[in-house]
Amino acid sequence: MAVSPLMRQAYPVWPALIAAIACAAPLLAVAALAVSGEWSGYLAHLWSTRLPVYLINTLHVTLISGGLAVVLGSGLAWLVARYEFTGRSVFEWLLALPLAVPAYAAAYGWFDLTQAAGPLGMLPTVRGATGAGLVLGLTLYPYVYLLAREAFSGQSSDAYEAARTLGARPLDAFLRAAMPMARPAIAAGLALVVMETLADFGAVSHLGAPTLTVGLIRAWAGEGATADAARLALILVTIAFLIFALERAQRARARQTSASGRRRPSRRIVLSPARALAAVALCLSPVLLGMVIPLGRLAYRALSAPVTRDLASAAQNAVLLAVIAGVLAAMLGLAAAYALRTGTRRGAVAARVAGLGYAVPGAVAAMGVLAILGVMQTWIDAAWTGLFGSVFPVMLTGGIAALIFAYLSRFAAAAIGPADSALSRVTPTLDGAARTLGASARETARRVHWPLITQGALLAALLVFVEVLKELPATMILRPFNFDTLAVIAHNYASDERLGEAALPALLIAAVALPPMIWIARRIVRAENGRAEAVRPEAGH
Amino acid sequence: MLKRLFAAGAIAALSISACAPDAADAPGTSDAGEINLFTARHYASDAAVYAAFTEETGIRVNVLEAPADQLIERMRAEGARSQADVVITVDAGRLWRADQAGLFQPAPELADTLNAVPANLRHPDGHWFGFASRVRVVVFARGRVDASEINDFLDVADEHWRGRLCVRSSNNVYNQSLLAGLIDAVGPEQAESWAAGVAANIARAPQGGDTDQIRAVAAGECDIAIVNHYYLARLQRTGDPADRAVAEAVDIVFPSLAGRGAPFNISGAGLAANAPNRDNALAFLAFLLTETGQRQFAELTNEFPVVAGVAYDNDVLAAYPQITPDPVNVNMLGENATAAQRIFDRVGWP
Repeated sequence: MAVSPLMRQAYPVWPALIAAIACAAPLLAVAALAVSGEWSGYLAHLWSTRLPVYLINTLHVTLISGGLAVVLGSGLAWLVARYEFTGRSVFEWLLALPLAVPAYAAAYGWFDLTQAAGPLGMLPTVRGATGAGLVLGLTLYPYVYLLAREAFSGQSSDAYEAARTLGARPLDAFLRAAMPMARPAIAAGLALVVMETLADFGAVSHLGAPTLTVGLIRAWAGEGATADAARLALILVTIAFLIFALERAQRARARQTSASGRRRPSRRIVLSPARALAAVALCLSPVLLGMVIPLGRLAYRALSAPVTRDLASAAQNAVLLAVIAGVLAAMLGLAAAYALRTGTRRGAVAARVAGLGYAVPGAVAAMGVLAILGVMQTWIDAAWTGLFGSVFPVMLTGGIAALIFAYLSRFAAAAIGPADSALSRVTPTLDGAARTLGASARETARRVHWPLITQGALLAALLVFVEVLKELPATMILRPFNFDTLAVIAHNYASDERLGEAALPALLIAAVALPPMIWIARRIVRAENGRAEAVRPEAGH
Repeated sequence: MLKRLFAAGAIAALSISACAPDAADAPGTSDAGEINLFTARHYASDAAVYAAFTEETGIRVNVLEAPADQLIERMRAEGARSQADVVITVDAGRLWRADQAGLFQPAPELADTLNAVPANLRHPDGHWFGFASRVRVVVFARGRVDASEINDFLDVADEHWRGRLCVRSSNNVYNQSLLAGLIDAVGPEQAESWAAGVAANIARAPQGGDTDQIRAVAAGECDIAIVNHYYLARLQRTGDPADRAVAEAVDIVFPSLAGRGAPFNISGAGLAANAPNRDNALAFLAFLLTETGQRQFAELTNEFPVVAGVAYDNDVLAAYPQITPDPVNVNMLGENATAAQRIFDRVGWP
């Protein structure tokens, strides 16, 4: 984007800078640990034994999950954005739901179904790097879907239609006209998928595909080698940084082609009955494979297993955390998106740094949060003792604030992606026009940007909401006494190899995520229609 | 919308402060006070044990469940401010590591009580002790394998079992402790060649937990599996007919570890270094060794009581033959853990 001095003054970078420092702090603590910790020779040992395997597995799993997510996510988004068929409006939000399924739950379900003794034992067992990649792709593709759907229902449809008018075949027009326009959105979704895949522990370890993250947890759990675990985490952060760089490069390329912020309602093509049937089948399969079948297996197991824990309060806790984190993350995402929009280096660095935590396994991020809170507590206690002669009355660890801090630092990327992707559709010319008409920067943000980026902000809040519902390691270690969430209970049962008992809380995670997902999906659709109304007269219909 | 967002943010901030837990003010606090328990056990049935303790003493039990390494990390970070009174883990190696990090304090008041625990299942200086034990065993397919083929864990490394063995990943602490015990028994070189032999015998890339290994034996994917005894006991006692069928297709042996006896490990507990409720914690630790506590572990989680002569109602455990345990102190499992893990890395046990 051209850096306009106007914009540079208009939108402050400092909120993003503060957010970035807060979000990056745990990561910096981990980095400090990596540098200052003892050198035990473990890394050299690892290099000569397992590290190559970890790297290969990481690549293998990531390629499959990322590839699957792009194909499913963008393909299905195109289908529901461009074509009209029975059930389309339901699929529009239904396709996002597998995101509510924790990848480890899907992995437990699929493995249980397809292992030799399972009811689907005749199929190849879902295991290894390929199996883990498929499971992760099936549960994470909604990231791409959600972002791409938004892009496809906008301007990239125009390009497609133009290409068709010029005689291009549908597939050609899709690949050469529509896709490039949606590329920033798809790249943003893919970056999230890849980073979550990198950070996954539950699915890959259960299916026997040791990735870097498994190696890292092994270094920590097996050797107590905290510093070496931190060093491995830095490798993951480096990979995340590269992915961000690639994503930005994509976006920069795409931006030149998108001149207009104008959004036209796309006229959907009505499919013939036979094709509509195929479309329904296409839409159903990822929902079945990513959600219904694995959760169904767990539900079946749940029938013969009584749950003795208090699921109601666990659900309440999970929702409380997820709502707080979701709302705060949306604000943070917008702050970062505006910082990016200024085009200044400071703004870009701030937004990127804030998002890095996403690629780090939750357990490591939590380690960083613990370290920071521990140091802060020592300082505060010392100061308080100096002033009042007693230690500070509040423990920083073990409170909900500590958890929210951990969530924000970990999931900032999930909030920044959608917010930035939405804001990038508000082109500088729009700003220019508004400002020429005498609107102040604040007014421009409120009256021009806000209506256009509401979806992005909602999507950011939704993604973080769902992430927090599923989040495990940070919740586990930072939570207060007697405070369980659905994910914690599901994990405790599953790690005790009680799949049946783990099933109900895992199902509840999906159930809790469902209403807000539907609500937001509807809102997004409504916002689109509302805008269509506004644009129609100008479009001359 | 922006306003609404900020309003929501303000509410969120308020609820953060409102929900900041202050255990002392929690409703239902009785005069007997409370204890804060850090536990790496994730058995839902443990709640019954805590409830029994509260009923007997009036002391409330606050629980934080997390993997041992994370609990250790949190205690380290919290330092002197740590609220933990009692730490429980399911592997002696983890207790050893927590002790190395200085997270325990000795409990001389418990010295007499601890005499009921076999000397090899507690820390030499009483920093922690086992309150229930479990043994690593071999499960085999009825009909395809004869029990007499496996007398010692050394046997499973034999070429005879090439492509016939199921075992979970070496990431798992139970395998790590098994090898740590073997290192103590036969030295690192022989232990390494044993691990290499086992890795060569593995029928399928390790996946799933111990229960999945048993299922694989029942399904014919492999003929023998190395697991902890209670996973089979659980399948034998379940109401699920499919799981019962799995349990009936297999049988169990209790091999010795290089002739020294069966490799027992413990669920253990210790008094946290900065325990704010020290007296209550001591009462809790003692309770774990009472008849009530011991009985519950045998009946609910199929573990062995550590106190001799405790009566319990568990057909499966009662039907086991006499098992001779490895007499060496489980403390060495922690000492050898690093060496064990590196051996796994070198021999490529996945």
